[in-house]
Amino acid sequence: MKIVVFIQQIVSTQVKLQGVDYFDTSRVSEDDLVINPSGKNAIEGALKLKDGHGAEVTAVCVRGLKPEKALREAIAMGCDNAIAVKDDSFYTDDPLLLAEIYVKILEKIGEYDLVFLGVEEQSTSSFAVAAMLAEKLNLPSVLYAEEIEVKDDVLRVGHVLEGGRKIVDMPKKGLISCSDSQHFTPRYTSMRGILTAKRAEIPTWTATDLGLAANDVGKEATSLIQVSLSNIVIEKESYIIKEGEPEEMVDKLLAKMKEDEVKLGA
Amino acid sequence: MKKILVFTQIREEKVEENALGLINKLLEVFKDAEITAALFGQQLKDDWIQELGKHGVKKVYAIEAPELEVYLSRPYVKTMLEIIKEIQPIMVIASGMVYGEDLIPRLAVHHGVSCAQRVVDFTLDGEDILFHTPVRDDQAMIVSKIKGEIKFATSRTGAFFINENPTGGSPEIASIDISFNPEDMIVSHVEIKEAERTVNLKDAKVIVAGGRGVGGKDNFQIIREIAELLGGEIGATRACTDVHWIEETYEIGQTGQSVSPDLYIGAGISGAPQHMSGIKAKTVIAINTDEGAPIFNYADYGIVGDMHAILPILKKKLEG
Ligand SMILES: Cc1cc2nc3c(=O)[nH]c(=O)nc-3n(C[C@H](O)[C@H](O)[C@H](O)COP(=O)(O)OP(=O)(O)OC[C@H]3O[C@@H](n4cnc5c(N)ncnc54)[C@H](O)[C@@H]3O)c2cc1C
Repeated sequence: MKIVVFIQQIVSTQVKLQGVDYFDTSRVSEDDLVINPSGKNAIEGALKLKDGHGAEVTAVCVRGLKPEKALREAIAMGCDNAIAVKDDSFYTDDPLLLAEIYVKILEKIGEYDLVFLGVEEQSTSSFAVAAMLAEKLNLPSVLYAEEIEVKDDVLRVGHVLEGGRKIVDMPKKGLISCSDSQHFTPRYTSMRGILTAKRAEIPTWTATDLGLAANDVGKEATSLIQVSLSNIVIEKESYIIKEGEPEEMVDKLLAKMKEDEVKLGA
Repeated sequence: MKKILVFTQIREEKVEENALGLINKLLEVFKDAEITAALFGQQLKDDWIQELGKHGVKKVYAIEAPELEVYLSRPYVKTMLEIIKEIQPIMVIASGMVYGEDLIPRLAVHHGVSCAQRVVDFTLDGEDILFHTPVRDDQAMIVSKIKGEIKFATSRTGAFFINENPTGGSPEIASIDISFNPEDMIVSHVEIKEAERTVNLKDAKVIVAGGRGVGGKDNFQIIREIAELLGGEIGATRACTDVHWIEETYEIGQTGQSVSPDLYIGAGISGAPQHMSGIKAKTVIAINTDEGAPIFNYADYGIVGDMHAILPILKKKLEG
């Protein structure tokens, strides 16, 4: 079984970006460049199948300043191969263009059975890529997966559903997007993994390698035009206690609530 | 007249509330547009169709087929594409429930355009529709417009309010001819495991909820004790019910229960939109080690700190 996992590298959401930094993240420290959390869930999904049933897992990273860093971590987790895909012309804020790049990558990779993605790319809150990619490739797909079980000739996948969980069967060639359920809780990297990752050769593919012209997937090609981007300012007045010993903080909270005449209790 | 096509679903035998909220918002912003709804299933009840009419929908494509009994991407995409072809709407939209988020991007692909996602507001700029989407854990807002004759979008769950006094009338009911082949059914439905609802949190005045930060099944005890002291109920995120730290019935949010207590205390909860969209509380208290956790955006009061240290003290003070 051959599995391709698409991950992205984002500026950790622990880092608060301001204005221009959204577009020019080059000032961000390398330590703050992380695999999108959802992408790690996807890696875990692929590695679980590898552990149980044998698979060759290839991680691919398109978004991000230092994709090699993300990919070394993917290898350290247990992925077999990694490919960095980079081109200054790519406009990846548009999920449709990102899906188009993924299509070309899969064409170049050639043979694969399953494609894994995370449910969401946290930096732009884009959940649409998986659905778009599946549709473009006409691949059977299940989004928001929470568990995967291998049956004889199908994958039995449970996915998030309002009011519970839905179980479906899908062919072993298809696409799955993974949620942050327990089943996909990312494993830690092992010492051996880290060593393997250090030595790993990570090829970089560009637009030309993928047969893409600059304007195929560049900003000119987008149908999703960003008019503005601004930090959200919370207008709500709130009383957040950030420092102090636990007891002090609780006292402060209770005193303030009393002062505001907010009842603690039914 | 300009048409907007809204994909709607049934949840717990009723038209799903997020869709009704979305319709209300659309009517407010697009005063000159006519709302058409799509509702699919095996056996659709007239009540549901009338409910949509009451909320301002002029026409309902009520499509019944065994293949449409539960949502599956391919047959639903196929049916929606036919309706779009027939009515040529200016916009196709669904609330961002699991199925809506699965469906809309696929429809967009078939029209060669992208889509706006988890929209919390629409505004008009001349002829352009502007879509407002929060990103990066609600740190920033992107406003975008979409090229193309037909715009595709989903709205964030919980973003819009239902019209409590709707005055619409009976909608026109429409249908289309559609047939399915085995390829359409390649992903097949096995079963829906409904979460067992043993406790109704709807009327709880106080809810003390725990998230992944609780760290284990036993640690829920302190949450329970504080809830009891306050005469309230407990709640949890999907992260906790998924690992069975707590019964599924306590899940709050888009896929769990909707609650509207006077007081909601969230400990070890990051504040994902899917969780927060189920909460309409008068007062929110957040306890989280991460000062940047989105839950603080919703909080009236908060402590940046370790819940395992804070909660026992809070309990003692409440007892004392
Ligand atoms: C389609 C879909 C629907 C969903 N529906 C729902 C839903 O209805 N309800 C729902 O809840 N989720 C839902 N989810 C999941 C949701 O996206 C989040 O993954 C989930 O809410 C996260 O739960 P959490 O806040 O407990 O965990 P996390 O996001 O992991 O956050 C844990 C938090 O605990 C804090 N923490 C850790 N240790 C401590 C400590 N010692 N003291 C204090 N704080 C600490 C951390 O800083 C962190 O902020 C849905 C997901 C999808 C994809």
